[in-house]
Amino acid sequence: MTELFIRLIRRPQGLVGVALLALIAIACLFGPALAPYAPEKIDFLGRFRAPGWQNWLGADQFGRDILSRLMVGARSTVPMALVATLAGSAAGAIIGVGSAYLGGRIDEAIMRTNDAVMAIPGLLMALLLVSTLGNGAGNAVVAIAVAYAPGMARVTRSVALNIRNQDYVKAAIARGESAVWIIFREMLPNVMAPIVIESTIRVSFAVMLFATLSFLGVGAQPPASEWGLMVADARQYMYQAPWGLIAPSAAIALTAIAFNLLGDGLRDALNPKDER
Amino acid sequence: MTPALAIKDYTLDYSTAAGPVRVLHDISLEIAPGEVLGLVGESGSGKSSLAWALMRHLPDNAREIAGSLHLGDTDLQRLSPRELTNIRGRQLGMVFQDPSTALNPTLTIGRQVTETLIQHRGLSQREANALAIDLLGHVELRDPAAIMRRYPHEISGGEKQRVIIATAFGCRPDVILFDEPTTALDVITGARILKLFARLREETGVAALYISHDLALVTRVADRVAVLKRGRLVEQAPAADIFRAPQHADTQALVQAVPRPERRLVHDKSSDDVLLAASDIEVHYGRAKLFGHAPPPATRRVALDVRAGEILGLVGESGSGKSSMARALTGLARFSGKVRFDNRVITGARDMNAAYRRDVQIIFQHPDASLNPRQKVGEILSRPLKLYGGSTAEIPRLLEQVRLPDSYAGRWPHQLSGGEKQRVAIARAFAARPKLVICDEITAPLDVSVQAQIIELLLALRAATGTAFLFITHDLNLIRQIAHRIAVMRQGEMVDLLPIEDFDTDHVHPYTSELMAASPVPIG
Repeated sequence: MTELFIRLIRRPQGLVGVALLALIAIACLFGPALAPYAPEKIDFLGRFRAPGWQNWLGADQFGRDILSRLMVGARSTVPMALVATLAGSAAGAIIGVGSAYLGGRIDEAIMRTNDAVMAIPGLLMALLLVSTLGNGAGNAVVAIAVAYAPGMARVTRSVALNIRNQDYVKAAIARGESAVWIIFREMLPNVMAPIVIESTIRVSFAVMLFATLSFLGVGAQPPASEWGLMVADARQYMYQAPWGLIAPSAAIALTAIAFNLLGDGLRDALNPKDER
Repeated sequence: MTPALAIKDYTLDYSTAAGPVRVLHDISLEIAPGEVLGLVGESGSGKSSLAWALMRHLPDNAREIAGSLHLGDTDLQRLSPRELTNIRGRQLGMVFQDPSTALNPTLTIGRQVTETLIQHRGLSQREANALAIDLLGHVELRDPAAIMRRYPHEISGGEKQRVIIATAFGCRPDVILFDEPTTALDVITGARILKLFARLREETGVAALYISHDLALVTRVADRVAVLKRGRLVEQAPAADIFRAPQHADTQALVQAVPRPERRLVHDKSSDDVLLAASDIEVHYGRAKLFGHAPPPATRRVALDVRAGEILGLVGESGSGKSSMARALTGLARFSGKVRFDNRVITGARDMNAAYRRDVQIIFQHPDASLNPRQKVGEILSRPLKLYGGSTAEIPRLLEQVRLPDSYAGRWPHQLSGGEKQRVAIARAFAARPKLVICDEITAPLDVSVQAQIIELLLALRAATGTAFLFITHDLNLIRQIAHRIAVMRQGEMVDLLPIEDFDTDHVHPYTSELMAASPVPIG
């Protein structure tokens, strides 16, 4: 594990990714304590104040400090995206490995259903689910997880098909092991590497999808300082106070980039054979 | 006279994260024009590194510490990339181990042969075509003009190796390097390739360096044999002498480990009680599609019986259906027919109950693939104990049974050598206290000396437990040392099933005698 981490931070992508994620993690953990102002503290004298010594990233239409809102909002944005991705990946991985193990007609049935779900665009799927389940951050998480599972299932199945033909799986079948044991103990640990890489890259999409849902008004609800919601709120005052739009957008982009870099770095680090 | 190829005091290191690793120590070899030098060594002895050094195709982390490499008068180490291109193929040819990866799958055979000829002999396209047809005919390929139009996947492995040999000889090089050219082929095809090589060599008088792990084979091909052990040259002797009078202790050990059919390792008789009787076994892969029939079965109505405590050998070339039999008997492949075991009739994988699964164990060919890389040895061995009853306290005993220390229970499979991994796989099979163990080519990927140890271990386990073995192999010399009876399969059919005493006599199937003729028995 430590060896993997050393290999990861030895590459520039890995190092930058890890450093950015450390910053984001600090914001998530200690954001409210470190923030210079309370996120909902309204200051009518300071409406649309430009970035300066009082408000480092400026203030919004109610005079709320944007930096403080960003730092507090990290907690309701990044962990949500992580949870959604984890749930979606776990479900997808189990479906994929199970489908590859069972094979034949069952595999065919599972994968065709999977294709049908995949044919619906992720955002549309998420919107559909949220509008059925009702608005709110929790439901948005469920929606994103469901939208993610089929893609993950496809990736996992292709890897698991190779593993299925390995002799240790055959040995387990010949021994008379149960399907649950073979799927969870023999096959899943060996498909983890591609799953981990795929999901770190997907976290960044989840951050954006989550922000999009909030922007459209079906995710987090005001006055929460979720980043997508902050963008949506600042949209009307784009010409008067562009910083209100730019700061949360940049935060979203940075988070997405950080997870992407981590994913790239992990892909190289988990593949030591490529080392030249 | 200048030697065709001279290696002098050559020392090579690989620099790794853990510091430099020396792979070749002060190697000095000379090959006279027209001479064939056999280079024998086990895996990791550095024989392939030497071949790559001669081809000037070393990996980036290789460091040449000392010594020189000369091809005739040319110093190979001082050549520029452009000069190298002229030397490779033109003066120094190479034939690789695996013919299926040595040809480009997207180009026709004709393109690949003529391209080499045009490049190295400066021929026009038309001349090259005519010469290529001539060359391919010369390596006994039927209808060379048709072969020229085919892609590599449309011809067999033996034919591919012939194409590569034809190309290598076609450029009229001074020296050809052969890197295990028959290892990836089955016995009979390999024997034919060797015969072809002997003929071409006589005609062209080319010098060759023949690299192989198979001492018996090398003594038949080469004039002189050099033995490499962990990067050091331990002995050089004429081919006929190396078996008769090996000088160095390492060579003696290597000679000892080569299986010889006349040296029997099993002396007892098996009982007459039938343990497992299979009849009319047909193994099916794939099902009928909506349009189109199911592929034909891999075996055709095969019948065999295994007696209690006996070693039954099952031999045949690749694709003969011998592994399919192993898969059928362990419920890994769909089959029709009947298996009678312990007074129970089994007609499919569903009928195999826990008792059958416990009594019939399988050991696979590749120990790397048969041990789960994410489980420690202890966990791997604990599974059969949990499934079939037994306590995990037995793990040290299981490891001791296969002569591995207790501490190995805490290791990962990738921390073990190939032979050690195979021992773990054997321990896993014996953890169930089986009545029959199916060994599917279990010694094929191992070195001869390791193979000898594994065979000795299996025989010791048999003496201790009275387990019967179904031993699947393509190595006829090996199986004649240990089996009570031998079954021979060809193209899914059983052609022979004979007790070992009758195996030398005249009434074997013609195919069996062909197989015996193709297995190189060491000279001397």
